[in-house]
Amino acid sequence: MAAAKETIKTAFIEALPLAVAIFAYGLSYGVLAAQAELGIAVIVLMSILVFSGSVQMVVVAMLTVGASLASILFTAVLLNLRNLLYGAALAEGILPAKKWRWLLAYGVTDETFVLGIARYKVYGPDPLYFGVITATFYIAWVLSGLMGTLIGNQVDPQKWGLDLAFPLTFIALLLPGLNTSPAIATAFTAIAIGIGLEYLMPGNELTIIIAGVLAPLAGLYVRGRSKDA
Amino acid sequence: MLNPWVLIGLLFLITYGSRVIGIEFMAGRKMSPTLRLYFSYVPIAVISALIVKQVLIPVDGELTISLPVLIGGFFTAVANLLTKRFLPSVLIGIIIGLAVRYFLI
Repeated sequence: MAAAKETIKTAFIEALPLAVAIFAYGLSYGVLAAQAELGIAVIVLMSILVFSGSVQMVVVAMLTVGASLASILFTAVLLNLRNLLYGAALAEGILPAKKWRWLLAYGVTDETFVLGIARYKVYGPDPLYFGVITATFYIAWVLSGLMGTLIGNQVDPQKWGLDLAFPLTFIALLLPGLNTSPAIATAFTAIAIGIGLEYLMPGNELTIIIAGVLAPLAGLYVRGRSKDA
Repeated sequence: MLNPWVLIGLLFLITYGSRVIGIEFMAGRKMSPTLRLYFSYVPIAVISALIVKQVLIPVDGELTISLPVLIGGFFTAVANLLTKRFLPSVLIGIIIGLAVRYFLI
């Protein structure tokens, strides 16, 4: 029981910086969706059921320019491709939850993936931790979408630097893991692939999945070479 | 105008489906050591790519570098290496990133 309490506390503390960033992002979603005249029930229900910042923002943008249902759904599939990779990597950490994994799967996102994997690497499978960070992010996302809809343009997340929390949290989470040559090779390869793809196709939605699939091969290669040496 | 309820239902199916397929595909499978190693590098690759996408921002089809993220990120990295503490490192980066946004841009 004490261990569970400690896990919940740790999960909440570690989720907090990203929850703040998610809240800021959710405000932006609410504001934009309200401007697109989607209606408060639709805006909030989308947050409750879809729970995906990138998908929801893009859908709102596409609806405002009159995109077709097929093009919106195709874009959503592209945006969600990386979830396949996240799910596969997170599977071992979530499987001890047995049937509850169907509920925990709902929380597979960029942010829960980053925190969940960091936890798994140190402590092994911890579905409770994953559940708490998911719940924290979920509440932040749904509430902020609602608030953004209600208050409109009165809050500017950029003014408070809330948008910076995402990348800086990722940097703080990434660095401790860069302690071996294969890990460093993986990171540099992913950065190179990321820069290359963004340069060729700015803002494309495949950068993360392509880097996520290909860059680990560089890590395997470097590890193989160092074992041979 | 599309029926928003139908749209939300389909988006839910696509998004939840993508989340659960990866987990269920790996459920109960014994991973080879190489595959396990591969998946141990996936987070590093994904986080690195996510950072790149936050630093390089497309504006009107052209890539621009976000100086607040780049400089704030540099100081987060330095603070993290020196202090080994997660939260202070992020806070230092945000403060410096904000300073860059207001004084340099």
